[in-house]
Amino acid sequence: MNGYVEAGYVVVLGTLSTYGVTLVARERAARRRLGAAPNAVPSQVPAESQELTARGDVSLVKRRDSGETERGTDS
Amino acid sequence: MSTPRTVPPRRAAVMLRALGVTAIVGVAATVWLGLFVTPPDEFMGNLVRLLYVHPPMAWVAFLAYGIASLASLLYLWPRTRAEHFDRLAGASGEVGVVFTGLTLVSGSIWGRPTWGAWWVWDPLLTTTALLFVLYLGYLALRRVPGEFHVRARRSAIGALIAFVDVPIVYFSVEWWRSLHQAPTVLNPTTHKTYVHGSMAWTLLLGFVSFTLVYIWMTAHRYRLAKLQDLEDAEGLEAAIAERRAEAVAG
Repeated sequence: MNGYVEAGYVVVLGTLSTYGVTLVARERAARRRLGAAPNAVPSQVPAESQELTARGDVSLVKRRDSGETERGTDS
Repeated sequence: MSTPRTVPPRRAAVMLRALGVTAIVGVAATVWLGLFVTPPDEFMGNLVRLLYVHPPMAWVAFLAYGIASLASLLYLWPRTRAEHFDRLAGASGEVGVVFTGLTLVSGSIWGRPTWGAWWVWDPLLTTTALLFVLYLGYLALRRVPGEFHVRARRSAIGALIAFVDVPIVYFSVEWWRSLHQAPTVLNPTTHKTYVHGSMAWTLLLGFVSFTLVYIWMTAHRYRLAKLQDLEDAEGLEAAIAERRAEAVAG
């Protein structure tokens, strides 16, 4: 057919597949770490945590493993 | 702080899985029709088959940034401010960056045999590359540590600033002299479509299928962000317990 056409399709489909699989794998890993039941997305963070972060008391936030002091982000 | 009305988790998971399967079937049908059923173009020959993936990538990128901007606006508006709008903006922005990257790469692959170059500093290409960089910056901004609402507010403002480039990209082919052709599906100046028959249906299927892929990916990215927030909160709970234990021991 045309090498460029095949290359375009391979790049698009390959990238989307890889990204999709990565998303699902990261979600499963996060569930495992939390020990949550499969498909049970928790709806709320604990009330005490919300209260502390809402008033900006981030000094209490510690990552267990690294010891950094941050609230954490979406990434 | 409000929380979204929730669908029962198992039902939501089934719906999301059904959406994923539908999207895969739609994309497979688009590929089959695009590569083996639709005819070659009179002028471009087989290269026209890239039409069924390249414009849908650009459309989904615009859609993703539109959703991210809308969610950011809703977050900034005090009456609708809620964590889920921030998460939705982040999820949609990230998926939008993936689709913008694919728009640039698939366009470059199409440009090489058509224009004789992988890249030209054409207004459309340049503003699209700028869009890609702006939203990469937005994703970087989201990772800057800080109190949740401070971080969410500055991210929302960043998303709205980046969105200014979207109409510039779309209208660049009309505002400036461009190598890139004007829209062929529905030309805003002539109000005519230049794609017909099986090519038009395949292109439409491509738009719908990749939009479903976008929805599926954004939903998963949103769920992942929610789990990460909970993980961070659990870390906070552990820290509080640790402090209490230290205080009792001391």
